[in-house]
Parts: sequence; structure tokens; C-alpha cells
Amino acid sequence: MKELEKTKRISIAAVLTILVVIIALLSYKRPKYLYAENTHDTLDKITTSNYFIALNDIEKNNSVLVDIRNAFDFNKGHLDNAINIASPEILREESSIILERIKEDNKTIILYGKNPNETLMAYLLLSQLGYDNIKILTVNISYDQNKLITENAVIEDTAPDINAYIQESVKKKAEAMKKLVVKPKPKTFSAPKKVIPVKKKKKMPVEGGC
Amino acid sequence: MVNRKLVKFLSLRYKILALIFIVLAGGLVLLPKYEKQEGISPEDLLSNSISPERYITTDELADRIINQDPTLLLIDVRDENNYKKYSLTDAINIPLKKILDEDSEPYLNQDEYDVVLFSNDNFYSDQAWILCTRLGYKNLHVLKGGINTWYNTIINPMKPTENMASNQFDLYAFRKAASMYFGVAYPDKIKKKPTIIKRVSTSKAAPKKVIVKKKKKKMPVEGGC
Repeated sequence: MKELEKTKRISIAAVLTILVVIIALLSYKRPKYLYAENTHDTLDKITTSNYFIALNDIEKNNSVLVDIRNAFDFNKGHLDNAINIASPEILREESSIILERIKEDNKTIILYGKNPNETLMAYLLLSQLGYDNIKILTVNISYDQNKLITENAVIEDTAPDINAYIQESVKKKAEAMKKLVVKPKPKTFSAPKKVIPVKKKKKMPVEGGC
Repeated sequence: MVNRKLVKFLSLRYKILALIFIVLAGGLVLLPKYEKQEGISPEDLLSNSISPERYITTDELADRIINQDPTLLLIDVRDENNYKKYSLTDAINIPLKKILDEDSEPYLNQDEYDVVLFSNDNFYSDQAWILCTRLGYKNLHVLKGGINTWYNTIINPMKPTENMASNQFDLYAFRKAASMYFGVAYPDKIKKKPTIIKRVSTSKAAPKKVIVKKKKKKMPVEGGC
């Protein structure tokens, strides 16, 4: 009789654990957006692959231009056939529907903004969420009297040679200093220094009260 | 009849329990997918990246360097050649490829220093910033415009034309003084007596020579006695 009690208790405990696990699984809310790449893979991707594209190299049929600026700038002027998905809204339902559709059509998503720096956030976020076919358009957008101007941008231009500049300026200063005529210092006749020993008066420690 | 079936069922109950546990263990297969979920959520990453808080201008940075802010840590994410050619004072070099290496982590994943990432422009430094922010590192900043803007504003500042606001002239004066701190010499600033200029040598090997002028503190005059 006692053994039956023990086994009954074990089975009840086992059933309870299973119930708890099932409830936990069911109540687990799947997060809306899941990364598809970890940081190391993303880093490899951005340091090795070429994800830039110039305006002339776009294949119109195989790609979709996405303007990541806000709606106001987009309405002011945008590239032909571009759609507008502002950066802060890239994780919204509507945007992800559009992006998914582009992904299904196997087209390339080409991001552009005022300058390539602006698109970087959208690019990295989308590529970490699993969109493989994204490129950044290397253009700087500006307006001249309400007309859109595009010019090719260079990513991370080589830095000016600052050391050379500093050396040059030091050289120029040295040359200028040579030209400057230094007035000879007038000889001052100094009287022999008299050494007057000054007795240091030791201050008595201040006694309280004073 | 039912009783016998029940008894049979009950006799198999341990095997059934074991089967259920095996099925649940199969759920563990889902775990590898979660390995990719490292770092903060995409929504948080997006909101962190949209805000321009991370940018620090070249003027602010020059100010902090000149005042020898001890909490500043400059990290150059360009490659070694560029770093050796010229870099900001006391900057350490972590090329972008190595930014997620184990050796780089102690520089980035800490809360004592304010880390400022910089490169020629702010493209690569932004990339480094986004990846490190995904991993949850705090106190990271990006130098807006990078070394190119550093050159155009601090080393070789543009003289304001006459029709600009007066604060532009103050800014220009600050920038010119900063450029002298960083080594640029001006021919029209020659005095007959050489002045002690606090200079930081640009070569990495020589130790920093800073002439510290000790300010003599005057003892407060005690009242009474």
C-alpha cells in the first residue's frame, strides 16, 4: 500500500512539472523582431563585402530605391521611383510588409539618404534582421532652389596629412623668426649683490584664545 | 473492461512520461537560433541609434583634450598605417576588424571612461558604435566628422568673414588657440621672448612633456589672530 502511495506521488509530481513547462511554453511571447546574425558575422560582412553602389550602376529592374529621410524631405525632392521609409519607422508593420515583398521578389534594396552616413543605421539594422540584398547608394543629396542635386560621395575620404601641415607651419615660423632682427640686449651694469641675511622669525605657535 | 485498460495504461505510465520528456527535449533544438539573439533588442538598438546623442563635435573634444579630462579614452578605428601617420593625442588603435575581439573588450565594455570612437569620417566609427551598442556597451561616443573635420576645424580653422556673427569669431579664436596646443605654429605669433607653450609632441615614442605650472594657493587669512 505504501509503495503505491510513493509511486502515485511521483507521477503527480511529474505531471505537474510537465504542466508547468507546457504553460511556460504557451505563454512565451515570441519577440516581434529577431536577429538573424550575431555581431561577429555582421562585422565580417561589413569589413569584407562591398555593399556600396554608385548611381550609375543601378539596375532599374532589379532593385528598389528606398529613401530613409523623413517624409518632409522626401516630398521636397527624391530620386525617381524611390519609396520612402523613414529611419525611425523601419521596424513598423507597414515598412516590414514592404520590405518583405521586395525580398520575396528577389530585388536589391538600395538605401539612400542625405549622405551615406544617414543610411548606415538602417543598413546595419536590416542586415542584422536577415535582409541579405541591401546596398547603400553613395550619393550626397542637396537642394538648390528646390531642385534636387545629387553628387557622388566618397566613403571615408583619405585624411589630410596633418603631420605634414604641422611641420610646414613650424618651418614657416622658423623662417620668419630668422628674418626677425633681434635687438641686442643692452648691457646693464649690475652692482655687486649684497647679501643681507634675513633672520627668519619663527612664529610662536598660536595659542588658543588669541 | 475499462478497468483493465486503465490498469494497462497505468502500467505504461513511466514510459509515457519518458516519451513526453524526450519530446520536450526536442524543443531544445530551438535554442541554437537564440544564440544569434545576442545583445539588446532591435527596437532598442534602433531608438539608440536614431538619437544624435552619441556625436561629439571636434570643438568639444579639443576642449576636453586641452583640459586633460581624465575620463577620456580615444579609440582610432582606422587601420594601423593611418594611425601611425597621424592620430589624436593618446589615442589607441583598434582597427574596425578587431573591434569585437577579446583583447578590445576591456577598452570598450567599461563604465569608467568615456570612449570616443573616431576614423577619417564618421562612417566606420558609426559602424563600430552600432555593433558595440548592440552588445550593450555604454559610454560610447562618435567624433562627428572624424579626422577630416578635425583638420578643417581645429588644425586649420577657417577664418570667419566679416559678415558672420560674433560668436563665430570667438569660436575661431578658440580653434586657433587649440591648433597651437596641438603643434601648429603661426609666424605672426612671434614674440622676442620665447614663451612657454604647453606642447604635446606628436610622435608616439616620446613621452608627453607637459609643463605644469603649480598654482600657489594663498592660505586664507584667518580672522582674528
